Amino acid sequence: METALKGTGINKVFHDAVNLQVLKNVSLEVKTGEFVSIVGKSGCGKSTLLYVLSTMDTDYEGQLELNETKVTGKSLNELARIRNESIGFVFQFHYLLPDFTCLKNVMIPALRLGKLSKKEVEARAYEKLKMFGVEDQALKKANKLSGGQQQRVAIARALINEPTIIMGDEPTGNLDSKNTGIVFDLFQKLTKEFGQTIITVTHDEDFAKRSDRIIEMADGEIKSHGH
Amino acid sequence: MKISVNTEIAVTYLSARKKQTAVAALGVMFGISMFIFMQSLMKGTNDYFEKMSFNSTPHIRLYSENKVADAHMLTSFLKDPSVKILTNPKQLIQTQGLNNPYGLIREIQRNPQITNVTPQVTADVIYTSGSVQINGNVAGVNIDQEDKMFDVQGNMLSGDLHDLNRVNNGLLIGKGVADKLSLHVGDNITVTSGTGSPTIMKVVGIFATTVKQVDDTKSYANIVQAQNLLGKDRSYVTDIKINLKDYNNAPAVARELETITGYKAEDWVKANEQLKAAFKIRAVILNSVIGVILLVAGFGIYNILNMTIYEKIKEIAILKAQGFSGQAVTSIFLQQAIYIGLIGGIVGIICGFGITLMVSRIYIGAGTLKYLPMSFYIPHYIEAICFGILTTVAAGYFPARKASRVDPVTIIRG
Repeated sequence: METALKGTGINKVFHDAVNLQVLKNVSLEVKTGEFVSIVGKSGCGKSTLLYVLSTMDTDYEGQLELNETKVTGKSLNELARIRNESIGFVFQFHYLLPDFTCLKNVMIPALRLGKLSKKEVEARAYEKLKMFGVEDQALKKANKLSGGQQQRVAIARALINEPTIIMGDEPTGNLDSKNTGIVFDLFQKLTKEFGQTIITVTHDEDFAKRSDRIIEMADGEIKSHGH
Repeated sequence: MKISVNTEIAVTYLSARKKQTAVAALGVMFGISMFIFMQSLMKGTNDYFEKMSFNSTPHIRLYSENKVADAHMLTSFLKDPSVKILTNPKQLIQTQGLNNPYGLIREIQRNPQITNVTPQVTADVIYTSGSVQINGNVAGVNIDQEDKMFDVQGNMLSGDLHDLNRVNNGLLIGKGVADKLSLHVGDNITVTSGTGSPTIMKVVGIFATTVKQVDDTKSYANIVQAQNLLGKDRSYVTDIKINLKDYNNAPAVARELETITGYKAEDWVKANEQLKAAFKIRAVILNSVIGVILLVAGFGIYNILNMTIYEKIKEIAILKAQGFSGQAVTSIFLQQAIYIGLIGGIVGIICGFGITLMVSRIYIGAGTLKYLPMSFYIPHYIEAICFGILTTVAAGYFPARKASRVDPVTIIRG
């Protein structure tokens, strides 16, 4: 199996009043098509690790490879391009752009990528919204939807460019159990049927248990890789 | 047409905040319309004053200047290499007239830039009527040519200027002279020059320019009469007045004439230095007022974009997380500034034109000035829109750069 993501010897220090080492020599590998949950107590550094893996945080030591290409040391513009093309994000909050319709929110990353025509992007956005059962909300402004619907639109947005890796920072943290179930089933479908890799940070134990693998973190170190 | 996603986002942000956008555009609009209005007023006024000055001053005046005695006569007489020095040199008595003036005029007329040439005899005189005497000067002219160059007809209050050619010893006098000596058309007046004998002349017309000093002293006579007044012969001419196709070339042509004729050629710029100074002062005042207005408009845009960025900081972070580069974010916010500038600029141009048009219909009625002089000069409008866009880009650049530097990690993690 191919490696979707590989981190080697990642250290990160916060330079607030005192130097606080939040990540201590973390190494991990995630295979393509895996559904991995990262769990741990608050403050153990799991979110920090996720943001390093996401390429958004570049202030770390160590080496990061995405899809077997080294990304450490690339320019911010190159990293932006990589995120646009091969990483999808789902956050605890939906972070939809309230001035735009749901459809447009989903379309924006694909328009940015510019590989498809506007028509094709629109068709694909509808398809993604349909997957999550919110296609009837497509032309509403994002802030007119319920919390569950917003999160589903946000996930549709993360998938629009068919990224190889989807990262979630507590993607179900704001959802009720019914919506959590829907999201989980979809994530599983993505890994099984489309071979996409999913890495999520979660507090939800049920959610974590049902994923392929659990990485446990404590005090900035990986306690268990879950193999 | 393919609209980039940056443009789409910029436009959506602007249209989501219609009121703020309108206020910002209004600021630019105000700046631009004031710019156009004030430029039009200034150019109009300047053109008017320039035109006014050409009502009394020719583009170039050729005359002979009194010279200080030098040693050239002595040098040609003694023909030795010694250096001759004149102690205590004095002004030479000159006939003051130009040598062979009509030959000169024929010569000058060959220059294709020159449209009108007319000779003049100027005489300082004393007007006497009854027991009252006032000082003044008589311009002996060819009245038809004078009228062509300086629009004498436009200044006439009563009488007929062509009578100067028909009536023997006819005289056109200024309104001030007429009032002081209580003269009317048809009355007689005694005119005395320094060199000639007193002559009784007949008032054939009264004129009024807007310049009191001219009206109080000047009169026109036929050139032959003026020569008679001074007791000079027919070839005596003191000035040659020259008008050009383009008065802006006057300084250059004047230099050329000086070299050809050897006489002093004074161009209108030199003759009207105070006018030019006034133009410059007005330009400084105008430009500082416009500068302040545009600065305020710029701050308006800066403010609104800054607020937008504070409001939208999470959205900017998300856009960056989704792969929008710093450049893309800069472009989104800079475009907003440019659109505000464009909207404000276009509306401002229309308003500026409207204001200019309205003001140009305000009745003034002072002297020959009936309406406020306004110019409708296309380059002003082009300049205005350039300035508008420049201001908005400058005002938008700093907020846009700030937006591009938003660190998505800090914002999203809270």
